Amino acid sequence: MSTRSLAIPVWAVCALVLLLVPAYGSPTFVDLAFRTASLIVLAISWNLMASAGLISLGHSAFFGLGGYVGILSANLLGAPFWLSLVGAVIAGTLLGSGLALITGRMRGIYFAITTLAASEGLRVIAVMLPDLTGGAKGAYLKAATFPGVLAINLAMSLVAVAACIIAWMVSRSRFHYAFRAMRANEAASQMLGIFPLKYRTAIMALSGGMASLVGGVEVWHGGYLDPAVAFDLHITITSQIAPILGGIYTLSGPILGAIATVFLGDATRIALGHLQGASLLVFGLVLVFCVLYLPQGIQGGLLRMLGKRPSEAAAEPKLSPTVATGAAKP
Amino acid sequence: MDIFPQAFSDAILLAGLYTLMAVGLSLGFGVLRIINFAQGEMIMLGAYGAFWLFTLMGVDPLISLPLLVVAGFALGWVLFHGVVAKVLDAPHINQILLTFGIGLAIQHVAIILWTGNARSTTPDYATTSSVVGDVLLVHGRVTAFAAAVVMVAALIAWLQWSETGRATRAVAENRSAAVLMGIDVNRIYALSFGVSCALSVATGVVVSFILTITPFMGFPMLVKAIAIVILGGLGSIAGTVLGAFALAFAETFVSYYLPEGSGWAEGIAFVLIIGILLVRPRGILGQAVET
Repeated sequence: MSTRSLAIPVWAVCALVLLLVPAYGSPTFVDLAFRTASLIVLAISWNLMASAGLISLGHSAFFGLGGYVGILSANLLGAPFWLSLVGAVIAGTLLGSGLALITGRMRGIYFAITTLAASEGLRVIAVMLPDLTGGAKGAYLKAATFPGVLAINLAMSLVAVAACIIAWMVSRSRFHYAFRAMRANEAASQMLGIFPLKYRTAIMALSGGMASLVGGVEVWHGGYLDPAVAFDLHITITSQIAPILGGIYTLSGPILGAIATVFLGDATRIALGHLQGASLLVFGLVLVFCVLYLPQGIQGGLLRMLGKRPSEAAAEPKLSPTVATGAAKP
Repeated sequence: MDIFPQAFSDAILLAGLYTLMAVGLSLGFGVLRIINFAQGEMIMLGAYGAFWLFTLMGVDPLISLPLLVVAGFALGWVLFHGVVAKVLDAPHINQILLTFGIGLAIQHVAIILWTGNARSTTPDYATTSSVVGDVLLVHGRVTAFAAAVVMVAALIAWLQWSETGRATRAVAENRSAAVLMGIDVNRIYALSFGVSCALSVATGVVVSFILTITPFMGFPMLVKAIAIVILGGLGSIAGTVLGAFALAFAETFVSYYLPEGSGWAEGIAFVLIIGILLVRPRGILGQAVET
């Protein structure tokens, strides 16, 4: 039990550091903290969907939508910072629950394809409505009231801490068990009285709102948005690599993974910066490697190194190639 | 001037190309039950293969086509035995993430090797054209259409009449029964994956003198191919042909008849995906697939 009692203070210190860096850190650290916090939220959001058996290949859809709601509500309606973020969350929630309802009983491949289509479709819409979005040329943020860089950076840190707390609360609730049952065998879980659509819509709304909120904060941070930035494949990729690298379906996995992914991206940029595309090549290889050889990610690897039985990992194989999900294969 | 004949002929020519583009994905899914998210990158590799053979050695894309098809088959074979075979019985998430990762890696190797610059092959027939009645026919597109028809016909003939082709269909229909009939399922899997990659490489060779070649060209084509396959029904070759015609006609007519239509046409694939999943998830001719 000693690790468990140690865990809470450790996480509290991490959260405190994340909240203090925007105010007291050097510019490099402030930037690093912002990017890490942003990826932590995206990774948690992706992991929440994945834990319900929903593989998103289009997380940039939520991110981009949030960004556009943020910038448009500020530019056209004069919404202040916090109000535009509320708008972004609402938009992401609606998109998430909408996707959950559209895909209905279909999971796996169909869900992945639908998210992919949603993100590409939104990108086309953003390009084709130049009067509203600025089209391919993009749009600059022209806010009536600018909250200041510190407030924006702090907001990102706060969102990250809140996302961690939400993920922890979800893991404590009955959602957690419902998801495990749905992931293993949805038909059987239905017979046990779990109504999958309800849980799926709820988790999609929650996780969609989270990812959109990141988009909303990022647009205030960057001050500029165009369809290529908003619906960048890079967002989709990093938000799925982080939880997989860290440890899918776990609480600390997305956080560890987000830190590792930011580190990995920066390291490749420093080492191989002259090669355009090197960091995404590394991410692709990491993805293949993790699926084949490190199915429990860093978290599982760490626990094994410490000689501990991975708490949930032992009971439930994660990305393990040896396990077929019962009825999923014909 | 009435633009209908022009739009109609353009749509037919595009449909041939789309069929070739999607049929590999359809075969791969029908047999292995895996959507290969790296399929778009195979198209890209085929296009670059044709480009380099043309630029460095002056080989006409139509002559390099058989060569590159064999190379594509070999690449698919190696990929299957190297990685894909390991996730055949794994949950969908492994398969999706694995092929997605492979595609990502291939795409960025291409960016590093060949930069992001746009290129194209320029054989004589790529730009010449002739006018038939009201219709302008670009010879490059007609050539591409003919090549596509020949290859799709060859695939269908192979599936229909050859011993291994029939074995492939048997595996697609019922894996366990195929095993009981003494079919080496793993060999069929490797073969189908190889053929499916070869078809995508062939698509790349054919589009090399129609579209601009960049390392990023694969992904949008993959999404369109997925739209076609879903529209026709996952795992049905006839459905795939139908889906390709539907998408080609919808795109061509939108770009001819709507203001700024060519931009909106790019979005049709996504609307179709969402629409078909809402209305008839198994597609026009598809079998019910447990996912």
